[in-house]
Amino acid sequence: MTMAHGTIFDIKEMAVHDGPGLRTTVFFKGCPLRCCWCHNPEGLSPEPQLMHNDTRCLHCGRCLSPCEHEECQPFGHCLHVCPENCLTVSGRIVTPEKLAEELISSAEIMGDSFGGFTFSGGEPLYQPDFLLETAALLQDYHLCIETSGCTDSSTFLRILDVLDFVIMDIKLVDDALHRQYTGASNRVILSNFKLLQQSGIPHLIRTPLIPGITDTEENLSAISGLLGGAPWEKLPYNQMAGAKYKLLDMEYPLRNLTL
Amino acid sequence: MNRELYLFITEKKHHQYRHTVDWDLGEEYSSKGLSPIERMADRFERMCKEETPVILPDERISFLRTVANIPDIFTADEWADIKSRCFIHELGYISNISPNYYDTIAVGLLEKRRTADEYGKRAIDNIIALSDRYKAEAERIGRSDIADILTHIPRYGARNFREALQFFRILHYALWLEGNYHNTIGRFDKYMYPYLKKDMEDGLYTPETALDLLEEFFLSFNRDSDIYVGVQQGDNGQSMMLGGIDENGNEVFNLLSKLCLQASCNNKLIDPKINLRVNKNTSPEIYTFATQLTKAGLGFPQYSNDDVVIPALEALGYEPKDAANYTVAACWEFIIPGVGLDVANIGALSYPLAVDKALHRSLLSSESYPEFLNCVKTEIAEQVEKICYGISNLWFVPSPFMNILMDCDVYTGGKYNNFGIHGTGIATAADSLAAIKKYVYEEKRIDKQTLIEAVDSNFEQHAELLPLLRYEAPKLGNNDDFVDSIAVELMDTFADSLAGRTNCRGGCFRAGTGSAMYYLWHANEIGASPDGRRKGEAFGANFSVSLFAKIKGPFSLIASMTKPHFERIINGGPLTLEFHGSIFADDDGIEKVGALVKRFIDLGGHQLQLNTVNVDAMLDAQKHPENYRQLVVRIWGWSAYFIELDKEYQDHVIARQAYRV
Repeated sequence: MTMAHGTIFDIKEMAVHDGPGLRTTVFFKGCPLRCCWCHNPEGLSPEPQLMHNDTRCLHCGRCLSPCEHEECQPFGHCLHVCPENCLTVSGRIVTPEKLAEELISSAEIMGDSFGGFTFSGGEPLYQPDFLLETAALLQDYHLCIETSGCTDSSTFLRILDVLDFVIMDIKLVDDALHRQYTGASNRVILSNFKLLQQSGIPHLIRTPLIPGITDTEENLSAISGLLGGAPWEKLPYNQMAGAKYKLLDMEYPLRNLTL
Repeated sequence: MNRELYLFITEKKHHQYRHTVDWDLGEEYSSKGLSPIERMADRFERMCKEETPVILPDERISFLRTVANIPDIFTADEWADIKSRCFIHELGYISNISPNYYDTIAVGLLEKRRTADEYGKRAIDNIIALSDRYKAEAERIGRSDIADILTHIPRYGARNFREALQFFRILHYALWLEGNYHNTIGRFDKYMYPYLKKDMEDGLYTPETALDLLEEFFLSFNRDSDIYVGVQQGDNGQSMMLGGIDENGNEVFNLLSKLCLQASCNNKLIDPKINLRVNKNTSPEIYTFATQLTKAGLGFPQYSNDDVVIPALEALGYEPKDAANYTVAACWEFIIPGVGLDVANIGALSYPLAVDKALHRSLLSSESYPEFLNCVKTEIAEQVEKICYGISNLWFVPSPFMNILMDCDVYTGGKYNNFGIHGTGIATAADSLAAIKKYVYEEKRIDKQTLIEAVDSNFEQHAELLPLLRYEAPKLGNNDDFVDSIAVELMDTFADSLAGRTNCRGGCFRAGTGSAMYYLWHANEIGASPDGRRKGEAFGANFSVSLFAKIKGPFSLIASMTKPHFERIINGGPLTLEFHGSIFADDDGIEKVGALVKRFIDLGGHQLQLNTVNVDAMLDAQKHPENYRQLVVRIWGWSAYFIELDKEYQDHVIARQAYRV
């Protein structure tokens, strides 16, 4: 049987804010949105990326000498010579089988204390077939997703079908503002939210509180009206949100945000 | 609690009552030709007389040290002579054992006096005399409550909770004043609860008022602790044990246990050091409650697992009722209250030194990995032989008052006289061997001579090996059997090397997983190591992974660290889990940390400490110590105020975080 490959950028044991119980979260790489407050910039591009930690760099130049390693060629740097471990590649291509095997080791260690797995990202719905095949291998466990809900409705429904718990963001209700700050319309997100409500699957809605953008009274009361009492968590602005941009040679869009 | 009293003590205003003495007791005793025990008896008498009773406004637990130093009873020449004939452990005075406070608190000192030897009688008379002077001071300033209490105790047994706490305070104070150190507290909730229970049945306390008194009692451990300095400030051995099972297998955890966790949490002070015994039957609620204390950032509680420790102690020859009653010494060594005179920290094996010696003596000639591993095992056995051989004719300065509080004769030996040996740097050694096994023998990527040159030159030669060995090689802590099994094998070898040996006091040797301060000392004995550790870099403290090992996460870590055969390596020494404070932001996070601890225990881990840390705060505290007077960190087996530590200890705590996510 041939399997879809997928790209992930991290597996985190004991991710405490990602659903009920002691869980392990896998982060899928690639996202259709470009939220200007994103704190996981390595999750945006679907491609593996070089991350360079400047703060420890000795400028010894060893990583710039040509090497024969196949895995180094796409990045123009040798990944195996840095004495300070400044270079890492974010993004690993795996099969669902391999990923499931790695994840299940958590469940084996934690036994009855294990809560389940959470698919996060990036946007896990950005790699739907990989997600579905992985979930199928993990059907004995409690499965949760952290999603923006930004995908077509048929994909959304197919995936809801394999999940036990959904954590979904509703960031901005005004579509123009949504386009401005996330780069995409929220129409499909809001209609997927309706599908989620109809599905009966336990869920939690989250709103990141971005000063002057999502934390306005109009926006929060609009979300509140939309939710009609659904569990809702407002996440305080992450002051460290911009920390990883430099590693990717990117600029944090909200770098000038004053709190 | 009484806020004024709390601030008075924490702001060290009580230091105004202190003075020092410049008596040259060694010379005086030497010229008089006094025996050691006569010297101890005389010095205790003088110290008691030199003390000035001070009762602070509104305090309910009295006794304050006003003499800040204790002159030695021997001259330097006498010490040199003693050391030429005897093995002297640390300072030579009795330390690191768990006295039986409870019997004396129950019956009073006059009853104990009846069966005491002449020196014991003299010590009791002196402490009663000091107590009478406190009573007179209480009467003078109109504190009839204190005067009434001191009319009864310490002569007679305590009649209620407050008297029992005051009695404990007097006994503990007297032990320090006699010159013993690392005076532990033992199973406090077990022996103190009956007093509280009775008082609550009589309607004298609510949980809230009992907590209030307990907080003041806990504060008393911080009055004089700066005088009780060990290797570093904070290393004073005031360890309290809570929970666990009793001699009949019943759970001890009671209301007082809960109040103790709460009092520590509220006081936010580094003493007393809180330990919690748990087992398979410990409820998730207890873990959650204890995790509230972890959140406070004091490094408490440290957990010990009854299901592992008790059978292991029995296997070493401890009677079941004694094994069931275990507590910890100053840090984490398992000892028995009242009857144990184990010297639980008498020496330390360096695993990385064994690997280093084998690397230089035997790698070139070893044809296979098993052959090389055998050479490492031989080095471990030789080191153990040398450590054990070096300890003969152990002698302690006789302590008459300590003798009163022990159910055995401390002059000649206890019911248990076992010696504990730490094992330092297990991760550095296991990671080094894993690298050698994989790259030298299996993949043949590294030539033997090349590896030796790289290590000997601190990776200045063959620099390309450093990233491979340091960042890509298998590391202990990732649930990878390739390296985890090596650690288990090395630890088994340590236990094997000690098994069957009899020490100079007729006891056995116990292998441990602790390091104490040897994680710095032993690291400086060797250069770089084959795991990519550079020269001068410390080992992990106690039973920890390497400082620069990249670890998948807490699940993999506890899986790796519960693999060893602790039933054979039970001197003590915890795994440390470090969490950023943000994990405890809500009840859900607290429950999850509690659940992780429970899983570690259920998997058969022996001992665990948790550290709540914030690297940014520590770095800033190095620059602006004045802003971080209350910042507490866990060192190898005790908690300390960060700014009071020497920089090398500060840097090690920071380095422990640098590679964590």
